[in-house]
Amino acid sequence: MKILAILKYEWTHFVRSPFKIVAIILFILASIYGLHNGSNLYHTQLSEIERIKVQSKASQSEVLAYYDKNEKGPADRPWVDVTTPFWAMWYSNTHLFKTPSPLMVYGIGQAEQYGYYKRVTFMSSPYDADMAEEIANPERLQTGYLDFTFSIIYLLPLLVMICLYNVKGKEVDSGILPLITVQTASIKAWLWTRIGFYCALIVSVLLVLLLYGGMLTNVFAKDVNGFFMFLDWMVLYLLIWVIVFGLLIQFGTFSINNTLKMVGVWLLFTFIIPGTIHQWVSTKYPANLMTDFIDAQRNDRDELYALPDSVFQNKLNKKFPEIVNSVVMKDSLKRNRAMNQSASALTNDLTKNSLKPIEKSHQQKNTAIVKSCWINPVTLFQNEFNHITKTHFNDYQNYRNDIQLLIDKQIETMVLDIWDGVEVNKKMYLDYINRLNDNNK
Amino acid sequence: MRQIITNEWRLLLRNKILLRLCIGFLLVFVLAIFLSSKQYQKQIASYKIAKDELREQWESIDSMNPHSAAHYGTYVFKPTNVLTNLDEGVNRVTGNVLRVEGHVQNEMVHSEASQMTSISKFGKLKASLLLQYIVPLLLIFLSFSSVNSEREQGRLKILLLQSPNLPKLMMSKALAIWLFGILLLSFTVLIYTLLNLKSFSSDIVYRLVLFMISYSLYYFIVVGLTVFLTARFKNATLALTSMIGIWILWTVFVPNIIMSSVEKWHPLPSRNEFKTAMQEDRSKGIDGHNPKDERGKALEEKILAEYKVDSLSQLPINFDGIRMQEDEEYGNIVWDKHFGNLSEVLQKQKKKVQLFGVFSPLISLQNSSMGYAGNDNLHHQLFLRQVEDYRRVFIKELNDEHAYGGSKTGDWGWKAKNEFFRSIKDFNYKNTNLNSVWNYYIMDNIFLVLWSIATVGLILFGTKRMDIV
Repeated sequence: MKILAILKYEWTHFVRSPFKIVAIILFILASIYGLHNGSNLYHTQLSEIERIKVQSKASQSEVLAYYDKNEKGPADRPWVDVTTPFWAMWYSNTHLFKTPSPLMVYGIGQAEQYGYYKRVTFMSSPYDADMAEEIANPERLQTGYLDFTFSIIYLLPLLVMICLYNVKGKEVDSGILPLITVQTASIKAWLWTRIGFYCALIVSVLLVLLLYGGMLTNVFAKDVNGFFMFLDWMVLYLLIWVIVFGLLIQFGTFSINNTLKMVGVWLLFTFIIPGTIHQWVSTKYPANLMTDFIDAQRNDRDELYALPDSVFQNKLNKKFPEIVNSVVMKDSLKRNRAMNQSASALTNDLTKNSLKPIEKSHQQKNTAIVKSCWINPVTLFQNEFNHITKTHFNDYQNYRNDIQLLIDKQIETMVLDIWDGVEVNKKMYLDYINRLNDNNK
Repeated sequence: MRQIITNEWRLLLRNKILLRLCIGFLLVFVLAIFLSSKQYQKQIASYKIAKDELREQWESIDSMNPHSAAHYGTYVFKPTNVLTNLDEGVNRVTGNVLRVEGHVQNEMVHSEASQMTSISKFGKLKASLLLQYIVPLLLIFLSFSSVNSEREQGRLKILLLQSPNLPKLMMSKALAIWLFGILLLSFTVLIYTLLNLKSFSSDIVYRLVLFMISYSLYYFIVVGLTVFLTARFKNATLALTSMIGIWILWTVFVPNIIMSSVEKWHPLPSRNEFKTAMQEDRSKGIDGHNPKDERGKALEEKILAEYKVDSLSQLPINFDGIRMQEDEEYGNIVWDKHFGNLSEVLQKQKKKVQLFGVFSPLISLQNSSMGYAGNDNLHHQLFLRQVEDYRRVFIKELNDEHAYGGSKTGDWGWKAKNEFFRSIKDFNYKNTNLNSVWNYYIMDNIFLVLWSIATVGLILFGTKRMDIV
């Protein structure tokens, strides 16, 4: 039997199988629903970022008005003086955003477990309470969103299973397999051509879905490489399942037996192995209660503030050698105030040091997860999709690192300006905003 | 009927493949419960260390201004309960640490889910994962095989000669397989009980009993439906694939779609919107740190009149503490309003989800499972409420000490002594008693019972005319 004839026969079989057609329609509907969920989250995050930018700009305009009117700050806060670097920086309304990738349409990943905007001040840290996830129903978070990646990871193998469950099995069930053997030169080639038909059919469906999703967030204009990477990994994932199921069918007999084996393999790789690894990692590395961070935020800070002025000043001098010969250093009246206003530079170091072991423990967990991927391929693919859609743990870790860099930059600018005795005017304030703010990007 | 059930069990035990499968299952169950118990013990230990450390820090405050102590604050760690070993519910995503301090009501942060890359969308290998997803699938295969093999091997005719009541025969088969499911469930609960007996209380026993009843009902629904479909469909493959299809719909599709949709039907505000609205309302109250605040001035006049003096310096007390407490009281009203609204939306979402138990009994099972395990959102909200109640008492004690502890207005250098800080009680979480929340799960239980009744109806009335060959 020629390949074309086998494919033609398979097409006829397919269009006469309402079960398979319904399965494909359900898969398409679930995927479209997932794509829209991803697209909605992408647009929600973008509009939220825009809203915050507008709010921030309004606050900055208020501060600019103080300069125009020669005022020091809000009337009901007489202690504020925006002409000092300390208060000008505080009122700079600096935000850092994790702008969502348009590829989020394909997968939400871990996006819902973290914040994606943060007002950054010289007192901030990347683990502040406002870095928590958006307000959401915890039961929904625990169930997870039905996004396109979910369709691919969990529903795609089921679709493959439904398409293939009676391939060869039906012929075995009805005892006509010997007839097929007579007609075809190789039963293997016949079987894999039929499997290939479904593989091609599913790839076509996936491609259409992927193109549709891409149009929802304009992926092709913004990140076409990401699109192809997603496509590659998706096809690879599909091929792996097709090969596994194909081999089960090749060495299997009746439809029911084949179905049972396929369901078993699916359960093993999507539920049991990931669940076991998850449980094992959580048992080995329990949730970090962040006590080191808490200590740095309270006790270590108090100890720092309790240090004699000379020790405190030495620490500052060591960190910023530029201030040793600064204008303010020579002015005993201004020195104390400058020292107090520079305290965040030292508390920031305490926080950073306290975060090192915490981040190390996170990294240990992640290393354990990565090392287990050879027996847990589903998680490997899931995290690969998360990488592509920029919703992976590491993307949010990078965001935290960027926040820390911005804090450091703010502190450095502020401390040097404080000790240089800089008087902040409108131009300088605008310069702060431009240099340190993500709002204008 | 008893004869048929006994016979069915004999056949089950003779089936070597099934026997191996069961042993495999039991081993996975033991592994799941063992790992969960280990995790629980580690969590309890780290929770205790963290709690003791923080308390020690608080008690070792030598002397501090009470308002500085309110800013210093304390931290509450979310305790875990022993039923987490069975179903951890929302604990993975809700955060573990909550800062308790003056002026602000913080949120829980540092969830376990945010501390690692994602692994399993369906959660850890807890008993609930196996009991909700895997055991039903095993029961589907067993029920299918039980009815189908009788038909394929022509034994159904003989059985009908012995007992001409087909629905009764089908019901007996369903009960036999269902009892097998109950055996697996009982085994899980037994192992769990043996490993955690020390932490048991009467409340946990009640919860465990209801937990078992919910699963038992769900297993009956799954087994009964499979028996019905296998009996009704002449094509065995179609019967099996239909039931697997239903299982996929119930476990993979429906919960995800429903949970995603209810958040759209009853949307929650974004964090920024929520905070802005809170800040706006809060700004209408007293600013505890701003002596020039107009509302603060009015309070000042009231207190001066109360003490019949002309200026703050003449007051025998510290007005700053009173202003701070007034600020808190107003903040509490604002919190109650906004978090009340949030809680209302969450309740609406929950009710909608529960209603979808009509379409998928797994939704009802999941709700009752995590509810009876004390790890659903309701229990989480009750925990947050307890923390907030504690925060209010904690801050009031500090403000009262600031106001009436012996200092005068403006004396920010005044410090309370160590005895005072030691006298403030630590937060102790009181486990939510099942009696106070059982009514929240009535709807889930009703749906499980209705589904069970419908299943009995399908077997008794729907299998009267089945093809026996």
